[in-house]
Amino acid sequence: MSRTLYPYPVLFGRPELEITRVRVDGRQLDFAKISHSQRSVALDGIGGTDDEKWQTATLDVRATLPEEEIADGPWSELHCVAVLEEAATETRIVRRLIKDRASGTWQGSVPLHRSRHRSRATLGVQVVAAVGDVRGRLIGRSENDWVLDLQEQLPVRDKEIDIVEVDFRDGPHVWLRPFKDAPWFIETDGDMPTVYLNQGVDGLGLLLRGNGGPAEKATAALVNAQIVSDAWVTMFHAAAGDLETDEDGNVRVPPGWRESVLLAMLPDVLPGLSPTDALHELLARREDGDGWSTLQARVQYAASLRAQLPKQLAATLRATTLASEGATR
Amino acid sequence: MEPGEEFGPWLGRQLQRQNLTQAGLAAKVGVTRAAVSAWITGRAQPRPETIRQIAEAFGTDLTTVYTRVEDAVPAHAVTWYHRPAHADGGREFGNPAAFAFDADLGVLAREATQNSLDEQHDPTHPVRVRFTLHELTGEQLANFLDALQWNSLKAHYHAAASSGQKVSRALADGLRELESSGSLLLLRVDDYNANGLTGPEYGDGRFAAVVRRQLDNHKVDKQRAGGSYGLGKATLWAASRFGLVLINSTLSEPHEGRTARRVIGRLDLPWRQVGGEAFAGPAWFGEPDSDREFPGVSRSWWAVEKETADLHLEREGDAPGTTFLVVGAQDAAALAAGDDGLQAMHDKLCDSLSENFWAAMTGTADVPPLLQASVRTLRNGKELIPETHVSPDERQPALARALRAHLNGTTVEEITSLTDVVSRTVPLTVPPLRSEGRGAQPVTHEAVLLVTPAVDNDLRPNEMVSMRGNRMKISVRRPRDLGVGVEPFQAVLLAGFATGRTGSDVGVAETFLRASEPPEHDRWEYTEELATAYVRGARRRLDEFRAAADAALRSVVGIRAAAPADGSPPELLRKLLQLAPGGSGPAPRRRGRGHPVIDDIDGSVDESGAWVLSVRIAVPQQDDACRLVAVPHIGVDRADSGARVRWRELTAMENCAVDGDVVVVAPGVRSAAFTGITDVDSHPVAPGMASVSVSLRKAEEGSTRS
Repeated sequence: MSRTLYPYPVLFGRPELEITRVRVDGRQLDFAKISHSQRSVALDGIGGTDDEKWQTATLDVRATLPEEEIADGPWSELHCVAVLEEAATETRIVRRLIKDRASGTWQGSVPLHRSRHRSRATLGVQVVAAVGDVRGRLIGRSENDWVLDLQEQLPVRDKEIDIVEVDFRDGPHVWLRPFKDAPWFIETDGDMPTVYLNQGVDGLGLLLRGNGGPAEKATAALVNAQIVSDAWVTMFHAAAGDLETDEDGNVRVPPGWRESVLLAMLPDVLPGLSPTDALHELLARREDGDGWSTLQARVQYAASLRAQLPKQLAATLRATTLASEGATR
Repeated sequence: MEPGEEFGPWLGRQLQRQNLTQAGLAAKVGVTRAAVSAWITGRAQPRPETIRQIAEAFGTDLTTVYTRVEDAVPAHAVTWYHRPAHADGGREFGNPAAFAFDADLGVLAREATQNSLDEQHDPTHPVRVRFTLHELTGEQLANFLDALQWNSLKAHYHAAASSGQKVSRALADGLRELESSGSLLLLRVDDYNANGLTGPEYGDGRFAAVVRRQLDNHKVDKQRAGGSYGLGKATLWAASRFGLVLINSTLSEPHEGRTARRVIGRLDLPWRQVGGEAFAGPAWFGEPDSDREFPGVSRSWWAVEKETADLHLEREGDAPGTTFLVVGAQDAAALAAGDDGLQAMHDKLCDSLSENFWAAMTGTADVPPLLQASVRTLRNGKELIPETHVSPDERQPALARALRAHLNGTTVEEITSLTDVVSRTVPLTVPPLRSEGRGAQPVTHEAVLLVTPAVDNDLRPNEMVSMRGNRMKISVRRPRDLGVGVEPFQAVLLAGFATGRTGSDVGVAETFLRASEPPEHDRWEYTEELATAYVRGARRRLDEFRAAADAALRSVVGIRAAAPADGSPPELLRKLLQLAPGGSGPAPRRRGRGHPVIDDIDGSVDESGAWVLSVRIAVPQQDDACRLVAVPHIGVDRADSGARVRWRELTAMENCAVDGDVVVVAPGVRSAAFTGITDVDSHPVAPGMASVSVSLRKAEEGSTRS
């Protein structure tokens, strides 16, 4: 709520939300899947087989509000609600929390129906009160919301791109067969980008793990950097291609990995512009075609930075120079 | 002749007080001297008629003689007795035991409370400890100094303060401050349900150990006791600027047939010369002893209520225990920081009690706590800071919860919710004593490790607290090797008597651990005592114990990296391909913000419903002029959302110029400000119904962006 002004008084302190317990279809969720320090819950990999997918998870929550500030302020008819939402599926569930006299916290439970969500839902708390004559005004909301991830097995906040090693020619993915000579392939159509490493290329997996002497390690690092650089370029273009404008003229980025990739790379691709300005510029260049080719060079540059290519290359050069010196000694 | 003191000793004391000989009394009462002697030695008792005459002889009533809980004759005037200098010419310029501790209220609270705990009288009830800071000024101060016979001490103080030694300088400062500020701070430490200073005046016993001797650790239950060097009481004298402590004790076992108001004062000064006579260190405030062995030495006396009240020593109720009154309380750290505020000292005492004794203060419905502690502050008898009862649930909630679960037996095997407490056993192998000879076997003791998730207001999570004995905190460690990103936890390791179990291994383990503690009792390590008392291998046993505790902790909270079914993908690839949800990526190199941003927005809605906003922006170093379009948004949910509206008016305020809808900032300017009034017609909702924000865009050449 910073840099946003409200025509009525709002809370200065922030409400905080804790998830105390999670039950999935009535059974208690293993506490290892709930991380309080990262404020995330992992909801995949529960139960034995993949066939029995769970239906509903119930989250028991507890919220602390800045009580002294509320008591002193001009607000009345206070309500505290927990809000569970996912932008991708346009789901929004609101549950009222009841104040527990003993501990002074607001408690309640929120249902999460698996059928209504795709990948990540966020859970936060909002405080609503009557100010002046108007009821139901939002006077405060939590800052760090919880992330409930239906696709992760461990509760982490950062998502990782999938890396899969298969044989392109003989493997399970038929559509990879045309690319059987490529050492790797980056696919950006799904929910998360996936890097496929071709096991058909002998020794690639071993090389990438970099076991062995300094020369092997240096080569491994270089090849890794190459793959990562390719991945970032591909992801960037896939994300840039999905940009749209809405009626107001704002640029809309599809949420999820596309937003992360663009925000990560735009400062290097189009330096000196604020994120919003850079998105506009990107869209303009894509549609007008003017300046698009000069952008390519910069995209390449930004991707190589993210892959730490300069650093790996320098290390390789050092290693090979030393090796050759050692040979002549 | 029933309650109170034995008739013989009582009679003897009355004679001494009146300076009456046995023959003198015999004459007054009409018996032989031999009869009086027989009474005094207890071989015979006087007849009822004679008792009446004895009462008359002393000028008192029959009840007093029969009950003998008071003296018939008032004591000789209480006075100060200073120990004469050593005959061999040696001099001490300070009390070495006092130098072992800094003048620190936190340390004093710990040592004094530990001693009180070790002296618990009734084990079914907690020991109550109360610390009172009392500032005296004006008339109350004058009355107190009178009762203390301060005037007779002045000469000694001035002599001691002038010798130029370290202790003297501190004394001189204290005296000067007393003169100039006209105020004196007393620190009173009361304990109730403790044993009190029992025992004879000079012989072995609690009283002599505390009042008359150095480094005498007289603890009856040496096994369970926390302290072991008798150093603890030195903190009391170290905390007094004037080296002066008064004591009032209610005894748990009668001495001389009495229990209440055993009072004495003790003063520790360096060697000094007063009026041509030399004096060694200590001095005592009490009744001159008429005992032939220690003539003139001040000994404790049984005070009357008025005396204890004048000296601010009056206790509440008659539960046994001791009251120490530190005259001129100081705290070295507070002095150094220039802040000797009473609130700071009050808080320091509370913090130290909570940190060191939270475990002793934790109890359940069935197992009462060992200790209750509170702190209050008064000025001239009026309450300045209300009494603060130190509560472990407030300050160390997770630790208290862990211990309570252990006492109640409600610990679990695995953590499933925020309030669960896991219990694991940690083995300690105690090597045999050297004195046990060959063939003695080591003893295995099972210590208990309790682990629980930490809550938000725990100040220092991820620590393991180790305790033994009377739940005395020995050490606090931060175990490593648990893995990065471990969920915050609190852990308690209970060993020896602290486990709450009985059994032969418990006492053995307790003794072993005690022997491995240095004088400060703050860790378990390889000490001299350990080396001499136990066979070889003691050190390794300690290391094994520590490693076992860490391993148990790791088994509960350590990160179990989920190994994927097949081989994991290459490490480097994974790291570089991480995406943060907000989008900063794996290599957030810090570079300056390359674009202009809004620093601050302020404003309100005017009568017409328009927003009047003043906006401040921060601009990076540029070579060209910066042209910006500021767009107001109504109904903002996140950044740059909401409906755009137009400005009715836009005015430059500072460091910028306005050209149509564009704000122009000259090169080299870092900060600018402007005000704007929105056009109400362009608002999508009624005025005052939605929030507002402003976003910045770079202006296009020629036209503004839509």
